[in-house]
Amino acid sequence: MLLREGSRREGTIANLDAVTRSDADVGLMHGMQLAALVEATVANDGVGLERACRDALVAMRADAVRDALLVAAAFNGITRVADATGIPLDPPTREATVALRPTVGIDAFDYAAKSARYD
Amino acid sequence: MSIDYAGGRFAPRAALIEAHRDAWSRIGAAGDWWNASARVAMVEEVRAAGACALCRERRAAISPNAVAGDHDTCSDLPSAAIDAVHRVVTDPGRLTRAWFDQIASSGLSAACYVELVSVVATTVVIDTTHRAMGLPLPLPPAVIDGPLGQQVEHDVVDDGAWLPLARRDDDMASATGLPAVPNIRRALSLVPSAPALFFRAFMPHYRLGGLDFAISQTQAEFVASRVSALNECFY
Repeated sequence: MLLREGSRREGTIANLDAVTRSDADVGLMHGMQLAALVEATVANDGVGLERACRDALVAMRADAVRDALLVAAAFNGITRVADATGIPLDPPTREATVALRPTVGIDAFDYAAKSARYD
Repeated sequence: MSIDYAGGRFAPRAALIEAHRDAWSRIGAAGDWWNASARVAMVEEVRAAGACALCRERRAAISPNAVAGDHDTCSDLPSAAIDAVHRVVTDPGRLTRAWFDQIASSGLSAACYVELVSVVATTVVIDTTHRAMGLPLPLPPAVIDGPLGQQVEHDVVDDGAWLPLARRDDDMASATGLPAVPNIRRALSLVPSAPALFFRAFMPHYRLGGLDFAISQTQAEFVASRVSALNECFY
């Protein structure tokens, strides 16, 4: 929801498929570089991260690459807080993303769906 | 070795370095429900989980429940705590309510679990930041013994999470579209020191609005969303 609303405010339209699909372009400036940085960070892939940083620095300022990595590091932790506590969506988010979640594929991560798959 | 991020491929801002240093020393001190040695052992287990054969086999299985066995451990933490640390680190996207109930029924209290999650998630933030900066992981924090605080939030409600959450007076959306206190800020609220620890480390990395970074708020939201999807996080 924050990505969708933020991109609207900034006058762009983010391709939300890129949230769940590595082959999709989000349509933001440096989107592909950001995606590569994220994937190497979450995969804990040192070689891949070195390469992603090198590639990103061709197009992006060093402080922008750094800040993208710092956001990724933070969310690598906070997602674990959410996943480990089963917190539900906030009511405004739940209401605002009813149509969006199945389209983008986020409903696959719903706690009930996970229980059905893994328990 | 203290946390200073010296010699990395990028230099974090001073406020982030100070926050991580502070969070690291807090982990090394006695908590509310775990002593200092146990909290530092959790840091060591976070790192051991990455090389744990059982965790690797479970990750490769269709369901983590399909593989039984013992974790490769490096501490004398209770077995339920070791399983909780390893699963939260290596397979967070496939945690379920049934798994949590099993952990709870094995003797790990809700307060102990909340504090454990805060230490683990804080360690993940700090370790991920070190890797992102191209640096070796810092040594675990020094153990600073002391009495347990034993603080717990009493004004809690069942709000649909696996754990009781601190009561929220108002869930109306703020300017960001989220409530003033979103559920993620309440997730660890059963033990007030737990969110205090985690968000001490987290806050210099990200804000919901007014981000003063070299990437735009929208680029930051894309990074955040993509990390969440890769970790199969619903929230």
